[in-house]
Amino acid sequence: MAQIGARTWVVPGGRVPFPGHGREPEFGSFDQLCVLNATDQEAELSLDFYYEDAEPVGPYRILVGARRIRHVRVNDLIDPEAVRLDRPYGCVLRSPVPVVVQFLRQDTRLPGVVALTGAMAYPG
Amino acid sequence: MGRGFVNWSGSLSFTPGEYAEPADEDEVRALVRRAREAGTTVRPVGSGHSSSPLVRTDGILLSLDRLAGVIADDGELATAWAGTKLKALGEGLYDAGLAMDNLGDVDYQSIAGATATGTHGTGLGFGNLSTQVTGVRLVTGTGETVDVSAEHNSDLLPAARLSLGALGVVTRVTLDVQPRYELRRRSWCAHVDWTLDHLAELQHTNRNMDFYWYPRSDQTQIRVMNRVDRAPDERVWQPRLVPGEAFPGEPGEVRVGPTHRTIPRHRELRFEEIEYMLPAEAFAACFAEVRRRIRQRHRRVVGWRVLVRSIAADDIWLSNAYGRPTVTIACLQNTSLPYEEYFRDMEAVFRHYGGRPHWGKKHWLTARDLRPLYPRWDDFQAVRRRLDPDGVFLSRDLARLLEEA
Repeated sequence: MAQIGARTWVVPGGRVPFPGHGREPEFGSFDQLCVLNATDQEAELSLDFYYEDAEPVGPYRILVGARRIRHVRVNDLIDPEAVRLDRPYGCVLRSPVPVVVQFLRQDTRLPGVVALTGAMAYPG
Repeated sequence: MGRGFVNWSGSLSFTPGEYAEPADEDEVRALVRRAREAGTTVRPVGSGHSSSPLVRTDGILLSLDRLAGVIADDGELATAWAGTKLKALGEGLYDAGLAMDNLGDVDYQSIAGATATGTHGTGLGFGNLSTQVTGVRLVTGTGETVDVSAEHNSDLLPAARLSLGALGVVTRVTLDVQPRYELRRRSWCAHVDWTLDHLAELQHTNRNMDFYWYPRSDQTQIRVMNRVDRAPDERVWQPRLVPGEAFPGEPGEVRVGPTHRTIPRHRELRFEEIEYMLPAEAFAACFAEVRRRIRQRHRRVVGWRVLVRSIAADDIWLSNAYGRPTVTIACLQNTSLPYEEYFRDMEAVFRHYGGRPHWGKKHWLTARDLRPLYPRWDDFQAVRRRLDPDGVFLSRDLARLLEEA
């Protein structure tokens, strides 16, 4: 399989919107990392979160199977600690094999409104 | 000075005056007598899994680590040294063709520590681990050895099966055991609305059932366990029989194995925890309020799950399932994040619904709060004063729990 993507990706503009409105999990507010691993090897990703006022936290470990995608909500990360909602963060993702990373934000802070933001993460 | 002590979660640390690891009951007796003469306290410690300060002392911290292993069994009862870790106990019993009937969520604890604090698993038909205790050997506050069972000093049994290490140092524990068997564990995810709608059905048709609620998604993870040799009513977990619900499909995890390898889960990630035992009939309203408050007040910082389990009623004086079928709610938080404001708010809800705190987890209750929750409270204290007349085991933390000012 073709080696598509990069081994390091950066999302500098993270901030899980808070609160949200509507039935969850479909309509909650969230930040999400969407990872495509088109290689023939399982990828054990390592994520580190950076903050304005504290030392980085990580690594968060995420497995993405060979020839698989995985969508990970930042809201759901708890190991080594839950990422606080409504707090600015930057995230660096490292992978042993090339992967492609897209960032997605769903913002339902305004009742009755679902705002979606999608952007490619920055490949390092 | 003794060596420093840090509990499993890391939130309780202190340096006792002396750290002792007696190798036999004679050494335990000698330590207690010496402490009594010196007017110092003794606190027994198992694996240090509790995060409440039950073991904190500036006197002697008495480790049970060297008192470990299965001593004997007769096919229906098994006696183990008090410091035997649950994992090793499970293996030892398994080798003898036996098993404990139910276990908790983890197996790091010693058998004496687990039963002294009311450690429990889940299942409408199962009491906490202390209900499996049929006898103990105690070294009392006067340094004497007392066997407690249905045959010996039976009047002490309802106090000694769960005693917080306040009656003496438990050196041996005798357990009601079963021929070993295998369990099948299944787990899957569903929305909390589905889980609450089907909760009674899930609890009644499975041997063991619990669920985690995830406050940042409103999803739950349901876990059920049943004996492999006794087919359960499987309708409740088969997706095709859940009409009108977007069910996530086949169980995400299926595992088969003996009880001691199937019920407990290994956990690397450390956490703080508050858990309260509620009258079963109060669960629905209490959980609704817990859920509402976490969503409104806490989930900006709280991403960890909330665990719901059930325990059968028992007749053990300090058991937090005494006299009532019980449903438990446990709130978890990363050790690196603040927990006190969250837990105190949850405690207020739990108390409003008549909850009793887990003895080994975070809570802020004292004897004045606890006494009305336990109908046989005064009877336990009378036994405690009889077996420990000089308060050898009554550290400041224990006094705050057990002695009204």
